[in-house]
Amino acid sequence: MKRQPTILFTAHAHHAAPARHLPRLFFLWLVLAAVALAQPALALTAREIMEKVDARDDGDNSTQTTEMILIDKNGHQRKRLIKAFMKDQGEDTWRIQFFIEPADVKDTGFLTYDYYHGDRDDDQWLYLPELHKTKRIASSDKSSAFMGSDFSYADMNRRVLDEWKFALMKESTVDNQKVWLIEAVPANKVVAERYGYTKSVIFVRQDIFFPVRAVHWVKEGGKIKYMEVKALELIDQIWVATETQMKTTQNQKTLHKTILKFKQIKFNQDIEQEIFTVRRLEKGL
Amino acid sequence: MHKVRFGSLWIILWLAGFLLPPGPARGQAGLADPWRGLGEVLAARDHAADEEIFSGFDDDPAPGQAHLDSSSARQGQPLTAWWPAWLELSGSMGLSASYNFAHEPPAPGEPDQRDFSRLRTALDVNADFTLPQNWRARIGGKAFYDAIHALRGRGQYTAEVLDQYEDELEFTELYLQGSLLPALDLKIGRQVVVWGKSDNIRVTDLLNPLDNREPGVVDIKDLRLPVAMTKLDYYTGDWNLSGIMVHEFRANKEPVIGNDFFTGSSASPLEEKPGLAWDNQEYGLALNGIFSGWDVSFYGAWFWNDQSHQEDTLAGIRRRYNHNAMLGTSMNIVRGNWLLKGEAAYVDGLEYSIAVGKKQRLDLLIGAEYNGFSETVVSFELANRHLFSFDERLKQSPVHGQRDELQSVLRINRDLFNDTLQLSLLLSTFDLTGEDGSFQRVSAKYDWSDSINITAGLICYQSGNNAMFQKIGDNDRLFTEIRYTF
Repeated sequence: MKRQPTILFTAHAHHAAPARHLPRLFFLWLVLAAVALAQPALALTAREIMEKVDARDDGDNSTQTTEMILIDKNGHQRKRLIKAFMKDQGEDTWRIQFFIEPADVKDTGFLTYDYYHGDRDDDQWLYLPELHKTKRIASSDKSSAFMGSDFSYADMNRRVLDEWKFALMKESTVDNQKVWLIEAVPANKVVAERYGYTKSVIFVRQDIFFPVRAVHWVKEGGKIKYMEVKALELIDQIWVATETQMKTTQNQKTLHKTILKFKQIKFNQDIEQEIFTVRRLEKGL
Repeated sequence: MHKVRFGSLWIILWLAGFLLPPGPARGQAGLADPWRGLGEVLAARDHAADEEIFSGFDDDPAPGQAHLDSSSARQGQPLTAWWPAWLELSGSMGLSASYNFAHEPPAPGEPDQRDFSRLRTALDVNADFTLPQNWRARIGGKAFYDAIHALRGRGQYTAEVLDQYEDELEFTELYLQGSLLPALDLKIGRQVVVWGKSDNIRVTDLLNPLDNREPGVVDIKDLRLPVAMTKLDYYTGDWNLSGIMVHEFRANKEPVIGNDFFTGSSASPLEEKPGLAWDNQEYGLALNGIFSGWDVSFYGAWFWNDQSHQEDTLAGIRRRYNHNAMLGTSMNIVRGNWLLKGEAAYVDGLEYSIAVGKKQRLDLLIGAEYNGFSETVVSFELANRHLFSFDERLKQSPVHGQRDELQSVLRINRDLFNDTLQLSLLLSTFDLTGEDGSFQRVSAKYDWSDSINITAGLICYQSGNNAMFQKIGDNDRLFTEIRYTF
């Protein structure tokens, strides 16, 4: 389990000082401590912030029901309902997802062994009930849309920190919460190809190291995507974005948007390894 | 006769252009130079530009979003469900039509195959039962009625066509499934079991018969016919051993005289099907290994050939079926965006309508699937069927056999508009150049809503040296379907 540090910004140690300087030093210490507490950003680099984001506890395993609402530029909606199970395997993550709705894709299942390090291709299998067959999927390209949504497969997974160059742009506020704006640029062409973004700016809430917004510059088509956490909840002491929106724009016009609502979230359940197998994929929920 | 309908082929290839992912030549921004976007990124470092972009979050809700709700209707338990929780009903209703546009006017006494050839309403329903101890059961059935025969006049159709194409009512899947032991699963009843890794050409996938009545037009979900079998699966580590006993014999559903896909010259002889007897059981064994980056399977089967052959018996010519044995293997290997496939099957005991004795055949397949284009899958498969001890008499009618039969399939699937529109192109040739015949199918499926989709497409057949394709070379048709799924 990734552990969130219990003390994020510690007061620095101070050495013994001559007695006559104590009042002045104490006053100076108070000022410095106040500045340090008020401006924690000054103490962290962009990379360190992103390391803390990455280290934030997201549970060893979880189950959830995802409602995916796809909205086109005319406001026409389509909905998908997906039951998902997730389990950490060291740095890697295993996921299995079953479509519940709509009816024409019901019982379709998707199993992924998501390997954290980009040099190893994920293992993916798709069960198609109409074909009565499990198909292995080869796709090292994570820029494809996740189930037709505005989220890409890359958006649904953790980013490998070493594959990005981070820069701290500035501070701002989102919903009265202080955030850092972190610019993330792919370290090389291969990474840019794999993720499909030439740049991202991530808005990280300072108090809980949670990315609450992001802007992604899409490599193709001059599109820009906006990710926004619409609802954030503390569940089993873990911060969870229970509603997230991704909007795809072009020339400042909305092309399409997707809302993900996560429900019935349960962390650290006793999920058996057997769940994350082709056997279970074919048997369904 | 060797008739190639180039007009239809050009239409198909022209439509294929829409399936291919956009390339640099199209000059779409950001595509010609993948790093063009990076230049924009650097420019975007300008503070004012960033601020303008960041203001994109301040967005009014899209029309309709304000009405989004999280009612229980989307929690997996439909509000309208009046049946108990252990029962789930699902299925679809559809209306489909086909229009034949390439047939010549019929000769005297021949059926007129021109114009509309299908106006079919279809219903399929599945009832799924959740049972104690994680057991489950399914009862499925389907029915269709094709009104085109009544509309055009039933009198102009043969009795065989009316019997096979006018209406149908049958059980589809009908099974009980569960775990006998933690590592041992049982599935018993009518079901479909798919062997092999290929998606387009059958090599080791031989347990279920096919519906071949309208090749290329039959819905993919209806293509394999379920048969009654008992299937036991044992799992250990990355391996699975699957033992199968098939109790029910079902033959392929083939075109009948009077239908434009029928390739014979006279009505098929009477059929003698294997009955339900202990000696008539089929057996299959599969060993499947699933590993990181690759899969492998080994198969063995003793089975009835689902395609009949004609035999001269004391009672006259009869269509009969015979037992075959098969040993096979299949493999998948993943490399980046590539999925490589291989299959091989050695089949023994093949019998033909010309009495040349039992034959052996080796089927080999190689294939690749590429997922590197945005929202596009391109796959290609190539298979060769080699008949050992080939007898030249097999070249004669009605077998029209070959020592080596080469088939290739190129398929391109592309999703557009957030999976609202799915385009599909399939090009299949016999012999690499299509010298022995070919067909092309292009289709578009549009999701009108979550429960209604509309499909339209075109399928074209090119005749060649192969006698079968010579008979169906002018069966080109447009097809469409509207389907409601529940």
